[in-house]
Amino acid sequence: MKSLRFHGRLLALYFAQYVKARLAYRADFATAVLASFLGTAASFSVVLLLFSRFPHLAGWSFPEIVFLYGFSLLPYGLFSVLSLNLYEFADRYLVEGRFDRILLRPVSPLFQIYFESFRLESLQEVVTGTVAIAWAVSRLPDLSPLGLALLPLWAVFGAVIYLSVFGILTASSFWIEDRVGLAPPVFNLMAFGRYPITIYDLKVKVLLSTVIPFAFASFYPTTLALKRADFTPFFWAVPAVAILFALLNRALWRRGIARYGSTGS
Amino acid sequence: MSQPAVRVRDLVKAFEVTRKSPGLAGALKGLFRAETTTLTAVDRVSFDLDRGEMVGYIGPNGAGKSTTIKMLTGILTPTSGEVSALGFVPWRDRRAYTKSIGVVFGQRTQLWWDIAVVESFQLLREIYGVSEADYARRMKVFDDLLDVGRLLPQPVRKLSLGERMRCDLAASLLHEPTLLFLDEPTIGLDVVAKANVRSFLKEANRRLSTTVILTTHDLDDIEELCERVVLIDHGQVLWDGSLRGLRDRHLPEARIRFDLNPIPADDPAELAVGPWRAARVSQGRYQIVVDKREVSTADVLREVVRDLPVLDLAVGEPDIEEVVARIYRENAALRKPAEDALAEGAAPGVVAHRGVRRG
Repeated sequence: MKSLRFHGRLLALYFAQYVKARLAYRADFATAVLASFLGTAASFSVVLLLFSRFPHLAGWSFPEIVFLYGFSLLPYGLFSVLSLNLYEFADRYLVEGRFDRILLRPVSPLFQIYFESFRLESLQEVVTGTVAIAWAVSRLPDLSPLGLALLPLWAVFGAVIYLSVFGILTASSFWIEDRVGLAPPVFNLMAFGRYPITIYDLKVKVLLSTVIPFAFASFYPTTLALKRADFTPFFWAVPAVAILFALLNRALWRRGIARYGSTGS
Repeated sequence: MSQPAVRVRDLVKAFEVTRKSPGLAGALKGLFRAETTTLTAVDRVSFDLDRGEMVGYIGPNGAGKSTTIKMLTGILTPTSGEVSALGFVPWRDRRAYTKSIGVVFGQRTQLWWDIAVVESFQLLREIYGVSEADYARRMKVFDDLLDVGRLLPQPVRKLSLGERMRCDLAASLLHEPTLLFLDEPTIGLDVVAKANVRSFLKEANRRLSTTVILTTHDLDDIEELCERVVLIDHGQVLWDGSLRGLRDRHLPEARIRFDLNPIPADDPAELAVGPWRAARVSQGRYQIVVDKREVSTADVLREVVRDLPVLDLAVGEPDIEEVVARIYRENAALRKPAEDALAEGAAPGVVAHRGVRRG
């Protein structure tokens, strides 16, 4: 408990310091937010275009698709805010030797990697997603109140899933000297979660619900609110999947750090 | 005497290194059969540090200094051997242990690159649980001794090397660690900055009786700061004792340098002074190197003054750089036959090498 409070306070402070540093260059930050927003808007408009032609897709109405898409931006946005260091871990931490500094502080190494820098502009995705959800809710009369109430919490679990999967991929740099890595193809898989999983074939469904459990991050969390009873067990499995992958991630990092201790690279 | 602050016994670190053959063929070969060699970076190192001691840990590049420090700070796990530091096993109790140590790597900053120095300090204050009152008091001291006050609002990346080093030193002492590791703390600093850093370290050591272990290339740091040096080469301790003892044992020389007036007319390259020879340094200036094991400096001096028209005279000792260079050379010569023997016994194309890549 004490450790949780300590890390919570530390996180708040890390974040505050980073925001201060970032806002020192206001124009730069505003440009980044705008660029990030345009990216989101562009991919969103693809969905809009697609659905302006078909009022229904595999049994999903347009507002439902907006709801889904809007929700998918929440865990994705949170993930994007926190994942900056994961991409640069191999180069900036292992090759340049910053990882030594991480190990010299009495703070969990993984905590430091996730929270040492932030991609602040990605918070716009959380805002955009919330707006999209609000619009969809106004068009969808028959939603489960419990499903809606749990959305924010499930978005956090979703972010934990994304962060853990990429944490696991990043931890592989302790063993493999691979500059490109598996992260980019897996990253592209995240886009699959923005659509109802029912439109994919079985192979994709299985993939997104098991090894790379992105359906638990962005699709299944919406199913309770949208009253898709056939997915209810998957909805309630979301926290368990998030915790499982977080533990897996932590275990792998422990082994990676032990290996770093014996090889020094 | 109470328990030592740091106790190191038979510490060994060996790295497995994959040998890469050159060219495409070599790369292909490496896919199937990787040849590995073992490099012993630290080879049965033992020493104790008492509380409040300031010890210089020196050696040439690749001697195993940094590898030792990385094990003592808990970054690396040794291949074998024991370390007990402040009652902890560094690599096993890393998180608890790092609360009571400070580390400065001269080559890299431990501060956050993009944020202002003061914000880095605030993060460290939180991390180490330093109270507001202690923080204010210590920052005042840092400002007095290291003049960091005016650097506080700037981001680290905008500081000069000397400024950054001062901030790094302050940061490493913010939580008043009982044990301080300094790896090249004066690297790249100008004379004034070096002097500041050294007096700061002396002060910190005196005031807080912090145990300090210092690795450096700049042996002036050692002369000014450390009573004791541990010298390693090829991963092994060659000397552990006073600087004076090191000098007396390896280069027991005194240099008597004198100017003559009048200058001898023929300007000879050598002058005889009793049984000794004085070599010409420049016009009218000569030097005698006295081997202290054979004769006392005073005896030689007497004869010089008696026999020659000496205008001015100075007695010096070899500086520590020279002593250390001599030791490295002797050690290399000593190792050579052993290495040749090893190389002969090894498979063709594989160079057997007990040397070390890491510094």
